[in-house]
Amino acid sequence: MQSLPVVENSAPESVRELRLGDIPLRQEVELISIDLPADQAEPLLERGVLPGCRICPVRATPGGDPIVSVDGSLLALRRETADCLCVRMLSSLKDAG
Amino acid sequence: MDEQHSAPRGEADSAVLVADDSGRALVALVGPPNSGKTTLFNRLTGLRQKVANYPGVTVEKHIGRVKLEGEEVVDLVDLPGVHGFSARTIDERVTKDVLEGRVEGIRAPDALVLIVDATRLENQLMLVEPVLELELPTLLVLNMSDELEARGGRIDDRALAERLGVDVVRTSARTGEGVDGVRTYLAEVRAAPGGAERVERTLANVKSGTSLPVVDAFAARRRLVREVVDEAGFVPPGPSALSERLDGLFLHRFWGPLIFLAVVLVVFQSIFTWAVPLMDMIDYLIVSSGDWLAATLPDTWFRSLLVDGVWAGVGSVVIFLPQILILFLFLGVLEDSGYMARAAVIADRMMYRVGLQGRAFLPLLSGYACAVPAILAARTIDDERDRLATIFVTPFMTCSARLPVYALLIAAFVPDQPLVGPLVGQRAAVLLGLYGLGIVAAVGTAFLLKRTLLRAQPTSFLMELPPYRVPSPRTLALRLLDRSKIFLRRAGRIIFAVAIVLWTLTQFPRTDLGAPDIEESALGRIGQVIEPAIEPLGFDWRVGVGLVTSLAAREVIVGTLGTIYGVETADEESVALQEILRRDLTLGSAIGLLVFFAFALQCVSTVAVMRRETAGWKWPALQFGYMLLLGYTGAFVAVRIFG
Repeated sequence: MQSLPVVENSAPESVRELRLGDIPLRQEVELISIDLPADQAEPLLERGVLPGCRICPVRATPGGDPIVSVDGSLLALRRETADCLCVRMLSSLKDAG
Repeated sequence: MDEQHSAPRGEADSAVLVADDSGRALVALVGPPNSGKTTLFNRLTGLRQKVANYPGVTVEKHIGRVKLEGEEVVDLVDLPGVHGFSARTIDERVTKDVLEGRVEGIRAPDALVLIVDATRLENQLMLVEPVLELELPTLLVLNMSDELEARGGRIDDRALAERLGVDVVRTSARTGEGVDGVRTYLAEVRAAPGGAERVERTLANVKSGTSLPVVDAFAARRRLVREVVDEAGFVPPGPSALSERLDGLFLHRFWGPLIFLAVVLVVFQSIFTWAVPLMDMIDYLIVSSGDWLAATLPDTWFRSLLVDGVWAGVGSVVIFLPQILILFLFLGVLEDSGYMARAAVIADRMMYRVGLQGRAFLPLLSGYACAVPAILAARTIDDERDRLATIFVTPFMTCSARLPVYALLIAAFVPDQPLVGPLVGQRAAVLLGLYGLGIVAAVGTAFLLKRTLLRAQPTSFLMELPPYRVPSPRTLALRLLDRSKIFLRRAGRIIFAVAIVLWTLTQFPRTDLGAPDIEESALGRIGQVIEPAIEPLGFDWRVGVGLVTSLAAREVIVGTLGTIYGVETADEESVALQEILRRDLTLGSAIGLLVFFAFALQCVSTVAVMRRETAGWKWPALQFGYMLLLGYTGAFVAVRIFG
């Protein structure tokens, strides 16, 4: 597992680089943006996967796809989808106020 | 839409059960998937419900009648489980249309019951804003409240009611706790039917405008939910230890796929072993009642039509009912327990490679019993292209109607000798090969379709994993009843028509003695007309007639060949028929015939269901032509190889 980049407040560019697919299990993060066309993003939005929400990968399927927890619900995604979700670590959220 | 007017099930309810202007109040039951909506619906209506399709679409319409105190009655419509009304999927479109009173044959509801899973309140309340925007009297049902409390969660339902301007009750639809509260609410609606004065809510001020960009609209909705939930003092429940432990097992890197395989095998095995005694019993009942009819009625053309045409024809389809019931019992248990969602997730990677998705696993598995319910099961696939590709390849799965054909030809042409060791015989190997052929054709076709006609951006598979639950026997039983009715109605109607047509073709032109010999009959002549086309495969007009009659249901060819060759009461175990076939067909032609049946869409019921499910003739026509071509080519190649 690659070490995660330390996120600085002053480096929004590097923040965008972090994808849900890079996040280790049980590390809760905040969703920043969804890098998907609207029709593919909508099912996510309806299930509460929205910019600003807290999302946490809790398990991997045997095929290596992530299962995430959002608002107390479990969602299975494809890793291709997880790689389109830009996130940031929660610690930096506190710093940002 | 004749299905809409079919009689209500159960009891001696003679009144037609439609939500019309009868003065009864109509209440709509809305909620996200896995909120316990259908369980609550079944609790309230019991057997006083019926299923039909909404006009023009494949979404099922469940309408039931709730009996209240005395003679009071309220109609309740169970809408599909949705996450929103964005009209992205058929389910959402129908839900929206029904709620706004834009569906033929069902008027706008007087009130709503919104049911949510209280253990996942924040997630489930995403529906609350679009529902409240309808400005109808609404009852919010906090289902699974017992579980919420058991896991240390909390909610102030009075504050919630106040904030949203709706009534709130807590229930456990599974145990029936709190359902009386819903009845009380329905009684109030009954007291003032049509008195559905639009409710102005303070919430209207906060609602997100429809003109907002998608993400912003959802974000606004989300903020609202957060506010509501905070004000209601919602404390989310702790994690369910049992669910986590089960997921640890069912989604385990090693055990997960193994359990998945075991489940598939058990379902598969049960379709074929448990169903057999029941099918034999139905077969016996059909044959003996047919014999009884034949002995009782005077020997006229009518007796012949009834016994040889309708009875035998419809019987050939009804016989699959036990398999379909067993299949649906298993699928129901898997679905309601929450395992099916996990199975779909495990299957997704594999399916994705061939251009399908995890939800296709269920219809494809069902296809081993019968393509008709399998195609209906594909409705859960939310992506339209994925759904089309799935139902297009479903008939390649070796359905049970193929088995009698396979059994007859294999018994006639393949020696009963061991192939590899004493366990795998040559016959079993050929049968397995035919199953394999179906899978290869399905995979290849799906692959092809997703690169041509149904090419699309890779879609994002998204599967909600509901908490594990003990399935409710009541809900399972009601669903089995539904499924069997739908199957019998769909298949029965078309088979009834086909049986009459086929029978008529055997009766004309009339001779002095009555019905002509089969060779002289219209059906025999059709066989002779297509003979040149099938001659390269080594088939003569007799097999040609069998190919035509097997369109009714594949296994009908066995009986037809028996009739043509004059073998009384021929079935796949008939030694006499096997001997005649050995004389009339070469080994190559026999294998060709097997391959033909593995590929060709010899089933009008499937074609009819495809037409319904795709709302047109384009897909069934394409599918029929494609599978016929594949079957013919395959048979041709087999004849050349095996001589």
